Amino acid sequence: MRIWYRNLDYLTIFAWVGLASIGLVAIYSTTNGPSAEYLLASVRQNFWRQLAWIVISSGAGLACLFLPVHFFQRVAWVAYLGTLLLLALALLFGREVNGARSWLYIGGFSLQVSEIAKVGAVLAAAQLVSSIRPNSSKVRYALLLVAVFMVPVALILLQNDAGTAFVFCAVAPVAVFWAIWPTSMFILMAASGVAGYFAVVHLPTALVFAALFTIFVFWKTRSRLYGAMAGVFSGGAIAAVLFALHQVFRPHQVARIRSFTNPGAEEFRSGVGFHLVQSKAAIGSGGLTGKGFMEGTQTQGAYVPEQSTDFVFSIIGEEWGFLGSMAVIALFTVLLVRVIQMGMQIKHPFGSMVAVGTASIFLAHVFVNIGMVAGLLPVIGIPLPFISYGGSAMLANTVLLALLLNLHMRRDDFPIYVY
Amino acid sequence: MDYTLRGRVFIGVILVAMGLLSLRLAQLQLIRTDDYVSESETNALRERRVLPARGAIYDRNGRILVNNEPSYTVTITPRSFDADKIPLLADLLEVPDSVVAARFAELRRYSAFQPGKAFRDVPEDIFSRVAENFYRLPGVGYDQDFRRRYHTKATAAHVLGYVREVTDSELARLQERGYRQGDLIGKSGVESRYEFGLRGSLGSEIKVVNVHGLEVNSWQDGAFDHAPTSGYDMHLGLDTDLQALAESLFVGKRGGAVALDANSGEILALVSKPDYDPDVFTEAMDPEDWDHLINSPEKPLYNRATMNLLPPGSTWKPFMALMALQEGTISPTEHVHCAGYHPLGGPSVFRDMDAHGRIALEEALEKSCNTFFFELMMRTNVEAFSDYARMFGFGEQVATDIGEQGSGLIPDSAYYDQRFPAWGPGYTINLGVGQGDMGVTPLQLARYAAAVANRGTLYTPHLVTRMAHAETGEILYPQIAAPAKLPIREAHFDVVREGMKRVMEAGTGRWIQIPGIPSGGKTGTAQAPHGRKDDSVFILFAPYDDPQIAVAVQVENAGFGAVAAGPIGSLMAEQYLTGSIDASPARQWVLQSVLAVESEPLHGEEAAPEAARSPGQADVPEEAGPGEETAQAPQDSESAADIEADA
Repeated sequence: MRIWYRNLDYLTIFAWVGLASIGLVAIYSTTNGPSAEYLLASVRQNFWRQLAWIVISSGAGLACLFLPVHFFQRVAWVAYLGTLLLLALALLFGREVNGARSWLYIGGFSLQVSEIAKVGAVLAAAQLVSSIRPNSSKVRYALLLVAVFMVPVALILLQNDAGTAFVFCAVAPVAVFWAIWPTSMFILMAASGVAGYFAVVHLPTALVFAALFTIFVFWKTRSRLYGAMAGVFSGGAIAAVLFALHQVFRPHQVARIRSFTNPGAEEFRSGVGFHLVQSKAAIGSGGLTGKGFMEGTQTQGAYVPEQSTDFVFSIIGEEWGFLGSMAVIALFTVLLVRVIQMGMQIKHPFGSMVAVGTASIFLAHVFVNIGMVAGLLPVIGIPLPFISYGGSAMLANTVLLALLLNLHMRRDDFPIYVY
Repeated sequence: MDYTLRGRVFIGVILVAMGLLSLRLAQLQLIRTDDYVSESETNALRERRVLPARGAIYDRNGRILVNNEPSYTVTITPRSFDADKIPLLADLLEVPDSVVAARFAELRRYSAFQPGKAFRDVPEDIFSRVAENFYRLPGVGYDQDFRRRYHTKATAAHVLGYVREVTDSELARLQERGYRQGDLIGKSGVESRYEFGLRGSLGSEIKVVNVHGLEVNSWQDGAFDHAPTSGYDMHLGLDTDLQALAESLFVGKRGGAVALDANSGEILALVSKPDYDPDVFTEAMDPEDWDHLINSPEKPLYNRATMNLLPPGSTWKPFMALMALQEGTISPTEHVHCAGYHPLGGPSVFRDMDAHGRIALEEALEKSCNTFFFELMMRTNVEAFSDYARMFGFGEQVATDIGEQGSGLIPDSAYYDQRFPAWGPGYTINLGVGQGDMGVTPLQLARYAAAVANRGTLYTPHLVTRMAHAETGEILYPQIAAPAKLPIREAHFDVVREGMKRVMEAGTGRWIQIPGIPSGGKTGTAQAPHGRKDDSVFILFAPYDDPQIAVAVQVENAGFGAVAAGPIGSLMAEQYLTGSIDASPARQWVLQSVLAVESEPLHGEEAAPEAARSPGQADVPEEAGPGEETAQAPQDSESAADIEADA
């Protein structure tokens, strides 16, 4: 008999353990440091709560490892509809935290259902792409795939949780490209994204980038069509951003979006820029080796708001310095690359879609979160996977990862022929 | 479906994304570290000042006059303070909400980020209650301070001065020296003059402060903390017993007295009455008390001993004698005829109280013959008069450690040109008997008495004799100007001293002789404005042969020199020289009689002082009392304005 865990990907598990441990160390520093006595009573137990959630998540993940692949294929839509139901319930009966009505009380636990919804959406998307046949209408499937993500986005937006909604939006195009559209489109969209980003930060850079990209595509492909598309997409992204900034958003919203480019400016410093001023001061002052465990003045003084949740990276940056930051980046890189490689090895659309969904969710979280904390991106309130304090995200992310590990471990159980 | 290409693209995207983040982190943490280090330090580190112990003040015998006791001050950092907590804090401090709100608003105007002293001298039980609730009161902290504690029954208010919170205008000047809102600073006397020596140098502690302004721990285990250096202890020349006696003798009187060591200029006693209790400044003051200090016509904050400008009256006669002898306008044996008036103005103008007949210098001093000294003034000119007076330190402030001084008024010809363009001898002859357009302070009189006593050495009067540092043992001596030798022959001093001895043995000072100790003295009676009672003036030195102490006393509106100022000066000298007052009935009677003397009370509407009136020649004789000559009193009064500016 074959050993069932022969194909288990230990490198992924190592990265998971490493990241969760780093998170625990960071949270411990905020709750048990010399300044702990000045904390609110509700925050003091964060370390132990996080530890409990890690145990619960490990249990759930382990459970996933024992289930056959067919199980997940079969429950995919059920899980999806279940999470939609939870989202609707949260909208009706949920509790508001930081302005977002995305929390449900179940028993003694409070669950952030928008985090849990990611699992359902990824499974549903995987099940959907598994049913694509060579003669299927690609447009129809692409639209369905986008819809799988957009329905929860609508509910999450109604809950006023823009950060999580943004993650779903980021996953949708990746899934479409992965399963349906040619790779070249991916490059096109990525370039549009970059152009849009620069349109917020520095308009001339954005225009130069769009022009260079268009010329590059035309020169590389010698196709007027592709060149025109490159121009239309990248230019369109800039136009869309400018339109949004000047026509759609109110001035204070624009200020909030733009504030990250100069958070120290007088008009932002004590308002929307406060998070970033403090978090950059924390990270930057860490230097190469950091100030030491429980020695960070920013951390111990609780200067960075949300320092154990969305801004947890500032603690690592301050107390463990560049070396600590790089350790986190390295672990995430290992994890993400392994997730994609597992997806490539599974070959079956269901498994590879789970992999790419998982990877794009994690990548969106990691890049946006660290980019935000380091002042590279606007403040979008999403947590850093496995590190930020928060049980629902820990559970959802761990289950996603365990699910993928299971599919990868049992990848030979998938039929060779998809049809 | 083959995912290899897509997989590689995705991995490429992952690596680019992570690379971007790494570059950004490298920029923050490796390249711009210094910016962020300083940003985080200004943020989270607070330099907390540690106040040094203010120096103590001792008298000449090492008795402690002033030192410190600890007191707790509750501070508020306005930025971190939550205005909703005002009722809680007010409740804990047991004061009305409005008081806390007002203090908070005041501190916020000064600085939002600095912890400001909101409530000082919080009693220990209340303080500990507040301290237990610090965690509920973001932005509220404390300082351990010191408050002044006064030990002797001598208040010596005008010597010691008092300390209070710095004012805004002082802060503007002294912020760079480490003064902050709510700090104490010496406002007058030694406390003010030696402020920087007494204060010491600040220490500092670096604390990690959290986002609410609470200090959570010390930074790097205090590696960058500095302990404060306490201030110097001031040792004064003051004799506490003498000071206390002098203060008690002034009960019910207004005026000033200064006693000097005749051979060094050390101030043995310096009294100005009415005075105040410096202790009232250590606590929050009743507005009524403050109002009294500032607005009372008696001006308790005003240092009469060093600022009062009264004519010296007959105490001026020894000076006139010395000047005339040195200038050669009279000899010790030359006689002047006294018909009871000076011929310049006829029988009713420059009068004497008696017709002394043929009279020479020593006797003229003993009998205080006005005619004789009118004649001496006639034989000189006002320029020489002015030069000699300045030689003795009149008409100007002395450069020493007494901050509040009046310069006095000594006229010269320019003065008369400006004031009375048609002036002549009739305008200046009064100066010969210490009246007219002149004014001297008790401090100047005492210095002059000491110079006569020691035959011509003019010492610089000073309060502090040395400054000792309690921690290091270091001793500093204040830089006191060297004594000046007066250009007057010692033989002339002998003549004048003999005359002053005769005053005490046979003249107006006979009844106030110090039992068993020969001395030289001179009484004076100066006419006061507003038709009030005369000012009583007296100078004395003792013992006669080896002078140790020189005293000058002015008592306002108390009558003859021999009635009020004389006994005070005599008793002060006796106390200093013998350590007590003789128990004989005659001496005790002197004591009791001077205690019974009171200054004529002031009335509010008369409080506004008046500049020296014109020396109308007809004025003096008409109002001359039956005793001695009189003189007008240009009373000084710059004080109130200064003090009010501080209030």
